[in-house]
Amino acid sequence: MKRIFSALLFAAACASANAAAPIARIQAMLAKPDQLCGRFEQTKQLAGMKKPLVSSGRFCVVAGKGVLWRTLKPFPNTLRLKKDEIVHLQGERVSMRLDASQEPTVRMINGVLFSLLAGDLGQLETLFEVDGSVNDGGWKVALKARSAALARAIGTISLDGAAYVRTIHMNEESGDKTDIVFSEIKTGPASLLPEEAALL
Amino acid sequence: MSHKRLALLWALVVCLLVGHNAWLWLGKGIVPDTDILALLPLDERDPVLQQSFTHMVDSAQQRVVVLVGAQEWLDAGRAADAYRAVLAPHGALLDFDAVGDDAQAGWLAGLQRHASLLVGAEQERQLRSQPGSFWMESALARAYGAFGGPKLGAFRDDPFGLFAGWMQERAGETPVRPRDGRLFVEGEGRQYVLLTYTLKQNAFSLGAQTALTPLLDEAKAAAAKAVPSAEVIQAGVVLHAAAAGRQASREIHTIGVGSLVGIVLLTWLTFRSVKPIALIVLAIAIGFLGSLSVCWLLFGRIHLLTLVFGASLIGVAQDYGIYFLCHRLGADPHLDSPRLLRRLLPGLGLTLLAAVIGYLGLALTPFPGLRHMAVFSALGLVFAWLTVVCWFPALIGPRTLQAGWLARRYRGLAARWPRFSAQPASLAFAVALAVLIAAGCARLGVNDDIRSLQSSPAALVRDQIKLGKLLDAPSPVQYYLVRGASNEEVLQREEALKGRLDGLIAQGHIKGYQALSNWVPSLRTQAARLTLVDTALLAGEGPLAQLAQAIGEDAEWVAATRAHLRTNAVPLRLDDFLRTSASEPWRHLWLGQVDGQYASIVALRGMRYASIPTLSTAAAGMAGVQWVDKVGGISSVLGRYRAWMGWVVLGAYGVVFLVLLPRYRGRTWRVLAPTAVASLLTLALLGLTGQSLQLFHVLALMLLLGVGVDYGIFMQEEHERGIDAPWLAVGLSAASTILSFGLLALSNTPALQAFGSTMLAGTALVWLGAPCFTVTKEEVHAAPVLA
Repeated sequence: MKRIFSALLFAAACASANAAAPIARIQAMLAKPDQLCGRFEQTKQLAGMKKPLVSSGRFCVVAGKGVLWRTLKPFPNTLRLKKDEIVHLQGERVSMRLDASQEPTVRMINGVLFSLLAGDLGQLETLFEVDGSVNDGGWKVALKARSAALARAIGTISLDGAAYVRTIHMNEESGDKTDIVFSEIKTGPASLLPEEAALL
Repeated sequence: MSHKRLALLWALVVCLLVGHNAWLWLGKGIVPDTDILALLPLDERDPVLQQSFTHMVDSAQQRVVVLVGAQEWLDAGRAADAYRAVLAPHGALLDFDAVGDDAQAGWLAGLQRHASLLVGAEQERQLRSQPGSFWMESALARAYGAFGGPKLGAFRDDPFGLFAGWMQERAGETPVRPRDGRLFVEGEGRQYVLLTYTLKQNAFSLGAQTALTPLLDEAKAAAAKAVPSAEVIQAGVVLHAAAAGRQASREIHTIGVGSLVGIVLLTWLTFRSVKPIALIVLAIAIGFLGSLSVCWLLFGRIHLLTLVFGASLIGVAQDYGIYFLCHRLGADPHLDSPRLLRRLLPGLGLTLLAAVIGYLGLALTPFPGLRHMAVFSALGLVFAWLTVVCWFPALIGPRTLQAGWLARRYRGLAARWPRFSAQPASLAFAVALAVLIAAGCARLGVNDDIRSLQSSPAALVRDQIKLGKLLDAPSPVQYYLVRGASNEEVLQREEALKGRLDGLIAQGHIKGYQALSNWVPSLRTQAARLTLVDTALLAGEGPLAQLAQAIGEDAEWVAATRAHLRTNAVPLRLDDFLRTSASEPWRHLWLGQVDGQYASIVALRGMRYASIPTLSTAAAGMAGVQWVDKVGGISSVLGRYRAWMGWVVLGAYGVVFLVLLPRYRGRTWRVLAPTAVASLLTLALLGLTGQSLQLFHVLALMLLLGVGVDYGIFMQEEHERGIDAPWLAVGLSAASTILSFGLLALSNTPALQAFGSTMLAGTALVWLGAPCFTVTKEEVHAAPVLA
C-alpha cells in the first residue's frame, strides 16, 4: 500500500470513469458507515527474505476525519492520516510528519487510502481500472493502475468483501507482497476506543 | 561649382545612400541589437554571463504559462480542457507542452543504480548524529508498516528510506505535481491545472502578438463558459509585449496623428503650402539614412537604443530647413535663392558646428551605445544640413512661398517682447526665477530602476505575481552563476554556496534554491556519503545486522543486502544525468562549457526583493561564484548612461560657448542663456512635480541644447530686415518640436513620457525666453563683432 503513496508523488494517471455493471452492484452491497473499526492481520513477504513479516493491530476509518492504523504486534506503531497531514508515531515519538503545505499530494494520497479501506470504488476508478465480480453474498475486485507510472510503482491490488472490505492483497512489481485480512469489524460511535478517539 | 551641379552631385550621393539602405534592410535583413547589456563597455562584458541570460531569459521568453483553477479538481480539469480545445488547432503558433506520462514511469528507474549515494540533506545530518538504534527502528517500522512513507523499489532497495527521503526533497523543489495526466498546483483554496505552451514565433514579432491575443481571450472565455466559477491566470513575455504594442499603436493613432495634423496645419498657415514640411522631412530622412549607412560601415552593427535616440537627436536638423525657409519668406523677391543661402551660411554653419560638437561629446564616454549615438546623430545632422544647403535653394524659388495668416500675425510679436536688462524689474524677476530653480532642483531625486519604466497593465502584472507565487517559480533575473575548471569543481563550488544559502533560508531571505548539485552531488560528496552510509548503517554489527536479528534473518541475508546496496552505488556523473528525462526541468541550470570553463546557475525560490542586498554579498569571497541581478544590471547601465550623458550636456555648453565666442564675443552668453535657463527651469519643474531624474530626461536636455542653441544663433545673427525672419524660424521650429517630441508627454510609456514632458517644457521655455536676450542693431554695432 505504501506503493500508492510514492507512485502518487511522482506519477500521473488518466481519469475516465465508465463504471461496469458489477461495480454498481458491489457499491450497493457495501455498507459505507460513517465510522468503522476493526482488527487487521498483515503478512508481508519482502523480496530477498525467507520469512514473512507478520503484524497485527487495529484500524479505524472515520468519514470526514481520517484513518488510524495501529500496529500492536510485534511492536506498537501508529499511522494517522488526516485530511491535510500524514503522521507516523513510533511509540509516542513522531517519526515522520508530512503535511499538505509541504507535499501537495498528501490530500490525494489520503483520499485513495480512505477509499481503499472503505471500499469506495467510485473514487478508486479515477486512478484504477476496476474489474469486479459478484458471487453469493460477496464480491471480488481487481485494481489495475490506469497510468504506466502508477502500475510500475504499485503493481496490482485485489480486494474482496461483502458489506465491508475483507481482504486486501497487493502484488508489487519489485517483488514485495502484502496481504491484509480484516476481522471483528464494528461500526457506529462505540466502535472507536477512547485512545483512538483521542488520536483522531 | 555652380549650385545646379552641387545639387546633382548630392542627388547622386543620396541615391547611393538609399541603395545601400535598401540592401541593408531588404537584402541583408539587418536586425538592431536589443540587449541592453550589450551597451556596457567591452571590458565589462562577460560571455559566460551572457550565456546564462540566454539560458534563463530567452527560454522563458517563449513560454506562455496558464493556470486554470476551480474549487474542485474535476471542475478545474473541465475548464482546462475547454481552454486547451480552443488553442489545439493553432499548434503552429502555440504548441502545448504535453505531460509525458510514460517518460515519467521510467525516469526513476534510471537513478536506481545510484540510489545508495542519493541521501537527503536532513537524513545526512541524522546519519552523522543519530545512534544505530534510531536507524534500526526506522527500518523495522518501514519493513512492517502498511504505509511507511515514500518508498521506491522493493524494501531491500532502500531499507532505511534514504533514497525515498532524497526523492521527497527533490519533489519539494516545486509545488507542481502530476495528477490524473495533468499538472496540478494548489493554492488559496483552489485547485489549479497548469498548462504550459511554447510560442513558435518570436515573442516580439508583431504577427505573433496580434494573432495570439484574441486566441487567448477566446480560450479564457471558453474556460469560463465550461465552468463559470473558473479562474484563468495567464502569463508570458508575449502578453506584456502585446500590451505594450497595443498601447503604442493606440498612441500612434492619437499622439501621432495629432502631431502630424498639427505640423501640417502649422506649415500651411505659415507658408500657405505643405511643400516646406515635405522638404524638411526629406532632409531629416536623408540624415537618418546617411548616418545609418555610415554607422553600419563603421561598426558593423547597430543597437536599437542608438537608432531611437540617434533619430531623436537628428530632429534638430529641422531647424536648418526652417531657418532657410523663413528667410526666403521674408527676403526680397529679387534676391535669388543661392545668393540668399550664401548670406545665411555663416549662421547655418555655426548651428551645425555647435550641435555636432555638442553631440560628439557623447563619443568621449566609455560606453559603446553613447559612442555610436554620437557618431549616428552627428552624421545625421551633417547629411541633413548638406541636403538643405545643396537642394533647398534649387527647390524653393523666390516666389514659391507666400506668407500665410499665422506668419503675418506672429511676426510683429518679437518687437514688443520684454527684454532682459539691468533694470530693477528684470533683476527681481531673475532672482525669483533663481529661487524657483534652486527650490525645484533641490527636490529633484534620481531613479534609474528599470522597473519604474515598466508600463504593463496592472491586471497583467497581478496575474504574473500570482502565478509566480502559486508555482513558487525561481526568479529568472536574479541568481548565482558558478564557474569552475571542470564539472566536478563547479558542483563542489555549488555545494559550498548552498552551505551559505541554507543559512539564508533559515533567516527567511529565500525559501529554497534549485541547483544541479541537488540532483548530482559532486563526486567528492558522493564518495563521502558512501563512506558515511557504509560506516553508519551497513558495517559490522550496525543497524543492518540488528535489523536482521529483529526480523529473524541470518548473516547471509545481511551480506546479500549489504552487497545489493553497495551495487546501487555507481557514481552518478553529471553528463549521464543530463541524458535522463529526470533532468529535463533542470537542464537550463547547466551552461556547460563556455569559453574554456564550465558554468552553472543556482536559482532561488521565494526570493524577497528586500533581500537582494544580502543575497548579493552572500557569496563574497567564494571562488567562482558570482551574484547576478539582471534587473539591477540594466538599471545600473541606465544610471551610468544618465550620469555620463549629464556630464556631456554640461561639457557641451562649455564647448559650444568656445565655438561661438569668436563670432559673438561679448554677446555669446546671450546665445546660450535661453537654453540654459530653460533647461534649469525644466529640471526645477520636474523636481517640483515630484518626478525623478532618469536617462530619458537627460537625453531630452541634450536635444534641447541642440535646438536651443539654434534659436539663440538665429536670434543673434544680424538681419537687414529686423528679427522677424529668425523669430518666425524659432517659432516654427519650436512649435513643430513641441508637436513632434513634446506631445510624447501624453504617452503612457514612462520613458516616452519623461522625454516628451522635458521637451515640452524645455522647448516652450526656450521659445519664450529667446527674444528676451536679443539686442537692437545699435547695441550690436556698439560692441566689436568678428564678421
